[in-house]
Amino acid sequence: MSEQVRSVQRTRFIAPRVERSLITAGHALLVVATLVAALFPLFWVFLGSFKLPADVMRLPPVIIFEPTIANYLTVIRDRFVFFFENSVVISGGSVLLTIIVGVPAAYGLSRLRIRFKKTLMLLILSVRFAPYIIFALPLFLIMSELGLIGHRPSLVVVYTIINLPVVIWLMRAFFDDIPTELDEAAAIDGASRFRTFMSILIPCARPGIATVTILSFIFAWNEYLFALILSGRDSQTLTVGLTRFLGGMEDAIRWGQLSAWSVAIVAPIVILALLVNRHLRRGFTGGLG
Amino acid sequence: MARDTKAALAYIGPAMFVLLIVAALPLAVALATSTTNWHLHRAAQREFIGLANYIRLFGDPRFIYSLRVTLLYTAVSVGVSMVGGFVLALMMRRTFPGRNLVRALLTIPLIMTPVVSATMYRVFFYDADRGLFNWILGTLGLPTPVWVASWPMAFYAICIIQIWFMTPFVFLVCDAAMESLPREPFDAAKIDGAGYFQRIFRLVIPMMRDTLIFALIFRITIDYRMFDTIYVTTRGGPARYTEVMSVWVYNRALRSFDVGYANAGSVVMALVVALICLALMMYNYRRREAVS
Repeated sequence: MSEQVRSVQRTRFIAPRVERSLITAGHALLVVATLVAALFPLFWVFLGSFKLPADVMRLPPVIIFEPTIANYLTVIRDRFVFFFENSVVISGGSVLLTIIVGVPAAYGLSRLRIRFKKTLMLLILSVRFAPYIIFALPLFLIMSELGLIGHRPSLVVVYTIINLPVVIWLMRAFFDDIPTELDEAAAIDGASRFRTFMSILIPCARPGIATVTILSFIFAWNEYLFALILSGRDSQTLTVGLTRFLGGMEDAIRWGQLSAWSVAIVAPIVILALLVNRHLRRGFTGGLG
Repeated sequence: MARDTKAALAYIGPAMFVLLIVAALPLAVALATSTTNWHLHRAAQREFIGLANYIRLFGDPRFIYSLRVTLLYTAVSVGVSMVGGFVLALMMRRTFPGRNLVRALLTIPLIMTPVVSATMYRVFFYDADRGLFNWILGTLGLPTPVWVASWPMAFYAICIIQIWFMTPFVFLVCDAAMESLPREPFDAAKIDGAGYFQRIFRLVIPMMRDTLIFALIFRITIDYRMFDTIYVTTRGGPARYTEVMSVWVYNRALRSFDVGYANAGSVVMALVVALICLALMMYNYRRREAVS
């Protein structure tokens, strides 16, 4: 009906059917263009990682070429495992710590009657929004003083700063969505608060915990600033390892390796992210947006 | 009302303890050292010098420049990505086959490791002789700049990466907000003869005000503190043209070892962004009061 009203009010120069198909075509074109813009860099580095030195920076660019896995083999020989292990241990450890302390805190902030709850939540949130360098540099000074630079367990603790605020905010939203009648019923049955938390609320919140774990892992994996400043020589992560290539890279040989290295960093998290895609927005905004 | 103080200690205590170590303690150290002349090469002569570092900051052209370039970079990158993400979300209102897949794929730049994205742009796109950007420009007969090594191209180079990285974020937030908008006002407006753009500006944007302000604050804080992509792409160069605040602090502390001074810089940096966010929140609050 509304379509008719509009056609009366507007003078048409082309038939409505033609106009509609023109709009559809234009829209499709825009969608494809956006997709290309968003995905081309990843596609290009993926191709580059299978190219021989002669092909990798050739102009005009080549899309059909003889693929090679030589780049990946070189990368593996070039201490990739060392960096990979550091990344896994530091990201994984910090996510574990974040979840262990963050989930109970979120429960507390959702269910307990405490003073200054709002202030506390806002303080936690402000950590998420603060410029990280204001934490990173003092941490460097403190850790240098204590001889902890490059010490993996310290980095595990430091990395919680990225994810703990997000986890607390997100999980609190999850707990808030669980009806308090469940807690009350358990209390009437004589269950202690801890028992209720462990055997009723945690199972209810399990999907939330799974999502938050994956998201936290992605953010920790991508981290660079803290890794660069605090990892010394002994605990450099993949992101720090990658930037070693950017020193004096005039030779095309390294560009293939650089691509292989990039793909190896990004592949696991792209897969993880597509798994939790529906929750990505909440993860990024800490459940705020 | 009874308070669960004991339980609070058990449940919230550990998280607070961790945040105390990784956030509150460093913040205190930043504030404390910002009032000293601590230099890593002359650590023995560390002395309290009051606010001298802060006074020095405001007479330091390099710091003032860094503050200005950070704000400019943030403004450009936030502005373009806000508009871009909003338009993208509008585009995705139309149903078409594979829409959900496209929505998922569009978020890939957002989760890609920023260091990897920046490296890719720098090596494959921005390279002066063999980069794809200059190849395209050259083929079209346009001038080919030396992207990361010249002003203002280096500035555009870091903006492009950040816009590519963060537009999907605005898209995600707007997409979800649009999904939950009620249909009735739009149908009514359509019947009253309101055109597409009128409906966008008079209905969609006002109804999404809270979401948009939130996205704006979020975007500002992310760009304002950005280190990874800029450091990897330009290292703050050429000369100091793209030395944003995070890079400024990093360079002062870990290249010049002037850590007291560097910390004073990061305190000012945090204060500036806190003020910006506060102003935006106040604005939104007033706006909401005025409406209701």
